[in-house]
Amino acid sequence: MKEFFASLYEWFGLIPLYSRDMGDQLRGWDITCTDYIATPWYVYIGWIMIILTGFIYALQYHILDSSRWNKKRHWWIFALLIIALNFLIAFAIPFNTLQAGDFCNQLNLTVSDCIGFGISNALWSFILFLIISSIPLIRRFSTNCRHTTFWKP
Amino acid sequence: MARLFIFAIGGTGSRVLKSLTMLLASGIKPNSQREFEIVPIIIDPHKSNEDLKRTERLLGNYYSIASEVGLGNGFFNTKITTLDKLVSSENRISGSFTFNLQQVSNTRFKDYIDFNQLNEPSKALADILFSGKSINKRHEEVDLLDIEMDIGFVGNPNIGSVVLNQFKDSDEFKEFASNFNSEDRVFIISSIFGGTGAAGFPTILKNIRDAMNNKNIDGKGFLQDAKIGAVTALPYFNIEKDNDSPIQKSDFIGKTKAALYYYKDNVTGNNSVNSLYYIADDYSGKPYKNDPGDGGQKNDAHFVELASALAVIDFLETSDKELECVGGKAVKPIYKEFGIRNETADIKLSDFEDYTERKISLRLSQLALFRKFLNEHLSNSVEKEAWSNDKPEINKKFVDDSFYRTNVTEFLVSFGEWLKEMSDNKRGFSPFNLESTLDSLIQDRTVKSGFFSGKVDFAMYDDKLSKKSKGKTYSSSQQKLINLFFETTEDILTTKFGLKN
Repeated sequence: MKEFFASLYEWFGLIPLYSRDMGDQLRGWDITCTDYIATPWYVYIGWIMIILTGFIYALQYHILDSSRWNKKRHWWIFALLIIALNFLIAFAIPFNTLQAGDFCNQLNLTVSDCIGFGISNALWSFILFLIISSIPLIRRFSTNCRHTTFWKP
Repeated sequence: MARLFIFAIGGTGSRVLKSLTMLLASGIKPNSQREFEIVPIIIDPHKSNEDLKRTERLLGNYYSIASEVGLGNGFFNTKITTLDKLVSSENRISGSFTFNLQQVSNTRFKDYIDFNQLNEPSKALADILFSGKSINKRHEEVDLLDIEMDIGFVGNPNIGSVVLNQFKDSDEFKEFASNFNSEDRVFIISSIFGGTGAAGFPTILKNIRDAMNNKNIDGKGFLQDAKIGAVTALPYFNIEKDNDSPIQKSDFIGKTKAALYYYKDNVTGNNSVNSLYYIADDYSGKPYKNDPGDGGQKNDAHFVELASALAVIDFLETSDKELECVGGKAVKPIYKEFGIRNETADIKLSDFEDYTERKISLRLSQLALFRKFLNEHLSNSVEKEAWSNDKPEINKKFVDDSFYRTNVTEFLVSFGEWLKEMSDNKRGFSPFNLESTLDSLIQDRTVKSGFFSGKVDFAMYDDKLSKKSKGKTYSSSQQKLINLFFETTEDILTTKFGLKN
């Protein structure tokens, strides 16, 4: 699971938005610089991203499920909310670690790494929301949003 | 399906028929064992009468809508058809709802009866029978014999009874007679204080009951014992004082008494009619323009016409047993009037007696709510809301199509005008606040509100529409529009406004 999320966030090694050191830190590289035995942030943040995105999808499509919130502009509002929250979470966790100095001193972590990871998490949450809400089979259970996607109505 | 042939005579006949069409469009159905198909036949020599034209147009739109969507969709749930549609063999009659009176247009009454060809004693008799003055369509005073009948009989039933007697020899009457079955019924709508209705009612009644003696028609067997109902509107509106007009309010009571005296022997006295409804109102309210007919005669809709239309529904709810006839005579003739719970100048739904309130409140409110949505919100919902995007779609193409743009829109515009006219009239009937917000649509009704029940607005309306349309299949967009809005408006009005089904 760790490697699954790692490859997603590292964009399969194609477009790294943060340094390899940040990748090690998120894999759970120990403060004593010995092994990957610390908190596996990739897994935690990955699941938080999935649950949060799923919850916000459910909020729009099944909990509010209102004609007041079923236009494409509303889809984009919820998408922005998902992006913002997931960015904040993915940025804040490594940034706090960085501020506290609570990581292996051989790793060279910077604020831009935190921002890069935040962006990566936000992008994946957006893609996930896009996919869930584009599949008619899933959204058909909604009363008012069963036709709502990023492009219509 | 059994049929109800409705003969709507004169201006009042057209206006009552209009009210009936509104009631049927709203989904009101008689609580009877049998379904009835309505066959209206408007009898009015005054072809340019605005009330007649408006009713014809309304019936045409109703017919188009009901034909397109079929029955069983709530609104427009009673079949209304023209007489010619019943004719399978040869189509000799016109496909309109109007009976075509021959030789009336641009014809003086004198010419109609060939006055100049009469011998002297007959001329003298005609002079006595048709003495007096009237006005022509150019508003000039003329002798009664010189009256041009294309603006009607201008309050002269003595002329009307002669001209309308041609009905028995008409193609329409022949088709009506040959298509009349034992389970069919007849209803005659007229007023008693004018010319056309007062003369037409007994004339048509007599021709139906005497059908056995009419050599010109086939299949007349069932006509003699036909179940016949009638509503005769007694004076119910006020008109402006105009000394130059042949129509005077002061004559209404006199004419009514004279006609009732005639009916005593020829209608009620001989048990010709099974069920007769007397509808009247002595409230002296806002006067109508004094228009003998030359101005097009466009009178505002009146509550009495709605009450008269309810008589048709009541007649259909009467059992066959109560309407039995033997030898052309009603065994147990029924005479009815109409009353409301509260004497008020401005009637609301809550002023009705319980049965009437239950019968019409919900359905009329549904049509009003349907109209409100289409008028004020449809353009915001089309192609945006789930119910609109569900298949079959109600999209911009549908809205531009003639079914919606012409038939539905025109019908609902007429419905709005009808409500407004009744509301402006005195005595008025104003059950709805047509221009208000959704939650105060119905007068005297407050919306049920609470912590968990949301606001009654168009967003809630859209929510309900989407909920109702979810998982449903419709045969066409047209059927979907009518069916979905009927179910949704019923839901909103029962759950939010507390109306009873």
